[in-house]
Amino acid sequence: MIRSLLLSLLTLFGGAGIAAAAEPAPGAIHFGAVGSGYGQQVGTQLIAIAHIKGFIQAEVGDAVKLDFNYFTGTGPAINEAIANGQLDFAQYGSLPSIILRATGVGTKIIASGGGTNIYGVVRTGLPINSIKELKGHSVTIQKATILHWSLLETLKANGLTERDITILDLKTADQLAALASGSADAEFGTASVLPLRDQGLVKVIYTSQRDDPRATGPSAFFVTDAFAAKYPETTQHVVNGFIKAAQWVAQPENREEALQIWAKSGVSYASLKEEYANEQLHDRLDPRLDDFFRGQYADGIDFAKQQKLTRKDVDLSQWVDPSYEAKALATLGLQNYWPNRDVNGAVVSN
Amino acid sequence: MTTQPNPALPPRLLARLALARPVRAERRSRSQLPVDRIGALLLPLILPLSVLLLWQIATAREWLAPQILPSPLTVFWTFVDLVTSGDIVEGLAISLRRISVGFAIGAAFGLSLGIAMGRSAKLEQYVGPSLRAIAQVPSLGWLPFLMLIFGIGETLNYVIIAKACFVPITINTAAGIRNIPVHYVEVAHVLRLRRSAMLFRLILPGALPTIFSGIRLALGHAWIAMVVVEMLADTAGVGYMMTWGRTLFQIDIVIVGMVVIGAIGFLMDGGLRWIERRLRRWAPVHA
Repeated sequence: MIRSLLLSLLTLFGGAGIAAAAEPAPGAIHFGAVGSGYGQQVGTQLIAIAHIKGFIQAEVGDAVKLDFNYFTGTGPAINEAIANGQLDFAQYGSLPSIILRATGVGTKIIASGGGTNIYGVVRTGLPINSIKELKGHSVTIQKATILHWSLLETLKANGLTERDITILDLKTADQLAALASGSADAEFGTASVLPLRDQGLVKVIYTSQRDDPRATGPSAFFVTDAFAAKYPETTQHVVNGFIKAAQWVAQPENREEALQIWAKSGVSYASLKEEYANEQLHDRLDPRLDDFFRGQYADGIDFAKQQKLTRKDVDLSQWVDPSYEAKALATLGLQNYWPNRDVNGAVVSN
Repeated sequence: MTTQPNPALPPRLLARLALARPVRAERRSRSQLPVDRIGALLLPLILPLSVLLLWQIATAREWLAPQILPSPLTVFWTFVDLVTSGDIVEGLAISLRRISVGFAIGAAFGLSLGIAMGRSAKLEQYVGPSLRAIAQVPSLGWLPFLMLIFGIGETLNYVIIAKACFVPITINTAAGIRNIPVHYVEVAHVLRLRRSAMLFRLILPGALPTIFSGIRLALGHAWIAMVVVEMLADTAGVGYMMTWGRTLFQIDIVIVGMVVIGAIGFLMDGGLRWIERRLRRWAPVHA
């Protein structure tokens, strides 16, 4: 707590120094996030709220054009767009971002994006009702994603390893075909699996949020080093807008509107409602880079190394830059709005 | 085996001699000066070597980020890594088995139906239009549908590869047979050749060039279709290795995959051309 307060003070003064030499505003800022591909150009994450509710636009001023891209190609497509300079900011899952970082493309983690619930589903008719019973069966996931990480974490927690199951690495749309044709017995996916359950194709045997919150897929908000170096003030404005969006979402009276916004992405309203059922958005979409977030990311980095997804090591302490967020929280008076969580997700202080 | 033209040949071999002519032309070209032959061997290398040079310059000067365009040397070492770790060998073994099985199935059906259609105008009238309509739907257009039926795995690959081979082989075989000069067929009729003799001594040798261009076209289509299926909807093979390289943002793996796929496609086509030359040299003598 004291550390983050000191940090925010530091950045306050540091920021004041930079502000003296007024920076030219960028003509446009490019944002990237995951999209579902069948709805409007909007996603189901904090950045979509900041986009649709105009929180970032209000911070940077109307002269700056904001360009939001929601990639159906998910993580790999976002990595490519960042590497070839098409994006300045992105919000996406931990695993692909770790993979990009390991290749040496310069990004900074500037806020947490909150967790994505992961669902384990099994073809209806199969006598499998728990993770332990998956032994000897085939499970389809998209490898090198938070789903892959979450599956193996969950197996571990249930005394199994990846050698106990057969993993079928497929993209989301093909996973449906694999389940329908019987090539796969189970799938680990996001809320996009819920319509399959509603059609009676699968039953849910696991949800990370209920069974193992640590295996809830983490995501983060990134800025490219190039953009942050050239436009530190604008970067601060963007983070301010992002935190405002998180604060807006966190208020129970805005919950319904937030779900409506996300539903424009094509993910059904019912699925979204269930995704966040019995839970405050305040807790799930906590934007802070606290110990819980860092613990999840550190796990992701270890996982990527073990699975040989990365060739070079990633140093989390060099990667996370909490200064923008600390300053934003201080500016908005939100230092205590979200409680601090320890690595296991338990609240340690308010 | 020699193909000395014999001036005293009986007229019933006239047809075969006509077919033997291109072979002799080819033989002559083989006895060119050695310098010309070396030049002819080097000529096709100019373009790839220039691309390699440009690639090297582009990476040395970092026209593109190294994560997007790794250097030729990086790609080479990745290739060595993938070979020594067995990853690429394993992937290729799977891909080659798929193409062999799928191609064998597709070619067997394609040749049979093609011969039947070439010989029977009625069958061509019944089946030809449907077949040409099916040919308009790319093999991969069938993928989403076939995936639901066959699931993910070997069967799906075999079916798509066989389908990719079947259509061009059938159409070319039928066309090759229909296009045999009428007077050859008339000679054969005058000589009262048996049906089997007709097929093996006149029709197949006569249609061979067209059939073979169909087979080469088919193998090319099938190889491409297989790689795409592996990239889109599979968990093994050299196409999957490329998708995996993309997922890991290790573009060197993707480039290794591209080179290997290109090289194998090239070798397969070269192999077929070689077989075709052998067959054409052989056909007139033993037919």
